[in-house]
Amino acid sequence: MSTTSTTMTSPRAPQTPLSRFATLQTADRLLCGVLIALSLFALALGIAYGVAMALVRSGLLAPAPDAGYRVLTLHGTTAFFYWLYTGQAATVLLLAAAEKKGALALRGLAWAGTALIAAGFVLSELAAIAGPPLLYEANPELGTDDPRTVAGMTGGYLLLAAGFALIALSSIATVLATRRQADGGLSALGFGLLAWAGFLIVSAVAAVNAFLPGLLWASGFGAFPHAATTDWHILFHNLHYLPLMATVLVWYALAQDLTGISPATGTAFSKIVFASYLVFVPPTSLYHMFLEPGLPESVRVAGSLLSLFVSVPTLIAFLIVVASLEIHTRAGGEGGMRARLRRLPWDNPAMANMGVAILTMLIGLAFAFVLIQEKLAPLLSDTMFVPGYFHFFAVGTVTQSFIAMLAMAVPAVSGRPLWRPRLLCVMPWIVLAGLLLFGAGGLGAGLMGVPRRVVDIGYGGEAPAIWRPFMAMVGIGGVLFASALAVSVFGVLRSLVPGRRGLAAAAEPHVAAARSAAAPAAAAWTGPLAVVLLVAAMYGATIGAFELMQSLPVTAAGGGAH
Amino acid sequence: MKLEIVLMLAVAAIWLALALVYALVPGLDMPGYIRVWGIGALVFLALAAVLYRARRNQT
Repeated sequence: MSTTSTTMTSPRAPQTPLSRFATLQTADRLLCGVLIALSLFALALGIAYGVAMALVRSGLLAPAPDAGYRVLTLHGTTAFFYWLYTGQAATVLLLAAAEKKGALALRGLAWAGTALIAAGFVLSELAAIAGPPLLYEANPELGTDDPRTVAGMTGGYLLLAAGFALIALSSIATVLATRRQADGGLSALGFGLLAWAGFLIVSAVAAVNAFLPGLLWASGFGAFPHAATTDWHILFHNLHYLPLMATVLVWYALAQDLTGISPATGTAFSKIVFASYLVFVPPTSLYHMFLEPGLPESVRVAGSLLSLFVSVPTLIAFLIVVASLEIHTRAGGEGGMRARLRRLPWDNPAMANMGVAILTMLIGLAFAFVLIQEKLAPLLSDTMFVPGYFHFFAVGTVTQSFIAMLAMAVPAVSGRPLWRPRLLCVMPWIVLAGLLLFGAGGLGAGLMGVPRRVVDIGYGGEAPAIWRPFMAMVGIGGVLFASALAVSVFGVLRSLVPGRRGLAAAAEPHVAAARSAAAPAAAAWTGPLAVVLLVAAMYGATIGAFELMQSLPVTAAGGGAH
Repeated sequence: MKLEIVLMLAVAAIWLALALVYALVPGLDMPGYIRVWGIGALVFLALAAVLYRARRNQT
């Protein structure tokens, strides 16, 4: 077993959460507070639609067909687009302001971006509620009879894209105005924020590429967008990567804040890892095209090989964060893994959120690799296997990480202590339990061929009986994780209401004392061991999926949906 | 700072190379990919230029 040998050094004193965000200016607190509230409102609404969807899919609710597909559209639009991207806008701005330790640059642009996102949110929601359900990708082929709905949804998404691009510009200007390190460069986190903000701008360009043709057609200014599916694929690929890049940057910041140590591998290596996200984005995009019937075989083979690199940056960042946490726990005294795990600050809700985020990432990755393989993708891509695995990422990894970040930042933004931290420490574990149930049901249902975008899967009594128990697990698990997540959202939102007594330093949950002195070298092997286990799990899941699907009488053929 | 500029230039180069592959290889008829990877290359090139300018102002 190879080990990661690291030295715990600290070129500058690590920050505690309050010191990181305490320098936020009053005007910036207002802006960040509005963005946080908007993002959490979108998340709360997305959760409500998600619960309705879980009840429908499990057979407990039986709405009219249009209503079912409308809820599906609203859930995807609200949770995937407006929560994840408003949440990212709030996070990049908060971390940039904290990095500068001064006023945000180009604050007016950031306010304009916030207004555009809010306007886009209203427009997309109204279009999805009033018109025919286009699903969350605003598919123009489903709106040929009602171009106004296509215009509303694509117009809303374009406003969202313009909004987060403006906020990214403000973040870039803010990071560039930060005080430089001794070598004249940015901090590792500062460079990561710069790269992330650049990627947000590129993704806004991808959104224009995907949605502008639909808006022009719907407004009578252009031809029907026949390339909409291909253009959606490229946007969708960027939208896969962005939240994961945001997640590892949040982990990077929180690992310092929660344990008081600097990242184990040094600034230069961290910068290379953050840049590697951008390096791997374009070459790994081909696997989204596996379901296209006309794709040349050579491209299919190249895409299959390149897709193996898709999680390389995330796994390296995972290794850095886990190694840093392990060094912190080893420095606290002797003992086995259980004793070391207990030394982490689990009485801080952010630590619990982050722990669940890391676990769900490992589980999600194991099944993601099953799905992106060329031979399995056509069989599984249009089944419940997809929501079964991606909720580990969307709800577990990304949302839990953003909630962790907000749990740390909101008390500094509002001056109010975090609402019931002990209760909020428990919620991530209930989310995990719900996700495991939901995931097991969804993955099992997918392997049995349950379609993911068909609301009524009864097929007039002809559907296999084995589908029902799996879908019941989806419903129960979905309601369970949604309920716990709703409590976390309420807690952060409740803490956002401005307090009357200045900063809430005394009431903050536990944060480990900063360790600024150099410490002896330590062997941190938990990260490498976790990656070995992950690779074994990927092989196991792939072999299992092949074997099971070969033995089944029912197969599902993909239709190019995402 | 030098490392940051090199990294941004490397990213821009890879995005540009992919845009060229999509533009020049027969059978990859996806103009959207050319646009997005190409404009992305320009965005990261601009970030490298901004970092280079900041470095010059410091010295």
